[in-house]
Amino acid sequence: MEQPGQYLEDIKVIKKIMEESSRFLSLSGLSGISAGLFAIAGAIAAKIIIPESIVNGQGYAESIVTSAEGARIIRLLVLDAAIVLVLALISAVFFSYRKARKLGHNIWTPVTRRMLLNLIIPLLTGGLFVIITMGRIPGWATASATLIFYGLALVNAGKFTFGEIYWLGVIEIVTGMLSLMLPGYTLLFWAFGFGILHIIYGLYMYIKYKG
Amino acid sequence: MKEILANINKAFENRIRLGIMSALSVHEKMDFITLRELLDVTDGNLASHLRALEETGYISMEKRFIERKPNTSYSITLQGTESFRNHIKALEELLKNQ
Repeated sequence: MEQPGQYLEDIKVIKKIMEESSRFLSLSGLSGISAGLFAIAGAIAAKIIIPESIVNGQGYAESIVTSAEGARIIRLLVLDAAIVLVLALISAVFFSYRKARKLGHNIWTPVTRRMLLNLIIPLLTGGLFVIITMGRIPGWATASATLIFYGLALVNAGKFTFGEIYWLGVIEIVTGMLSLMLPGYTLLFWAFGFGILHIIYGLYMYIKYKG
Repeated sequence: MKEILANINKAFENRIRLGIMSALSVHEKMDFITLRELLDVTDGNLASHLRALEETGYISMEKRFIERKPNTSYSITLQGTESFRNHIKALEELLKNQ
């Protein structure tokens, strides 16, 4: 017959296998921190790209969209955001790969694929939205939309990874909505959503899950 | 106490079988390779435990071809779901009574 300690161990094994087989647990807190730092650098770059004169003005939308100078600014901002996204993704993959190796997990599993698929659908939709409406909607609306679509992607992917990702997504959506309502503060909301929130989240996860 | 022990299923005492049942109870189906990676066991070891569980009627096997490669996937049966649920309940009861 089994020893009593064995029963507890059995329950633990059952829980572990159920969780490991249905959730992607290799996401590292360090990915969050580095993504946040890249986003803040990107926001600072955006602050430099956008001329002071149009940041506070009410004619923001019209002035930036119509002129040739405006088109150049928009292109630079989109490039800035794209660089932040690529660097954040590279660091996410790098730190996750490292964590998976340390934990002895296999990183490319059916769960990983399902998680990524659920993440990519809203993210790609958002990306296409930004490209299609480029120059036709005000910059603050575009920036707010990136926060909202990103939040939706996290909520969707949250089912297949840490539950905290779901809540991070909810907060990103709220941040995006507030940013839509207060167009004068877009850059601050953007830096908060992609920068500060990621850093807080990353630190929290790094401490809670030790990696 | 006796009644609880009656629900402790000998078929699930082995860790690998316990792992197989845990994984299959939260997934509609799983293929051999995914199970092997999840449980970190050798081919032969996994195959023999899968066969044992299949013989007791707790899991079922499905063989098919994906892009001309054979693929074996497993899923839990109704009987398996029930037995495994009773087994977990019994484990929890035993822990409570300690």
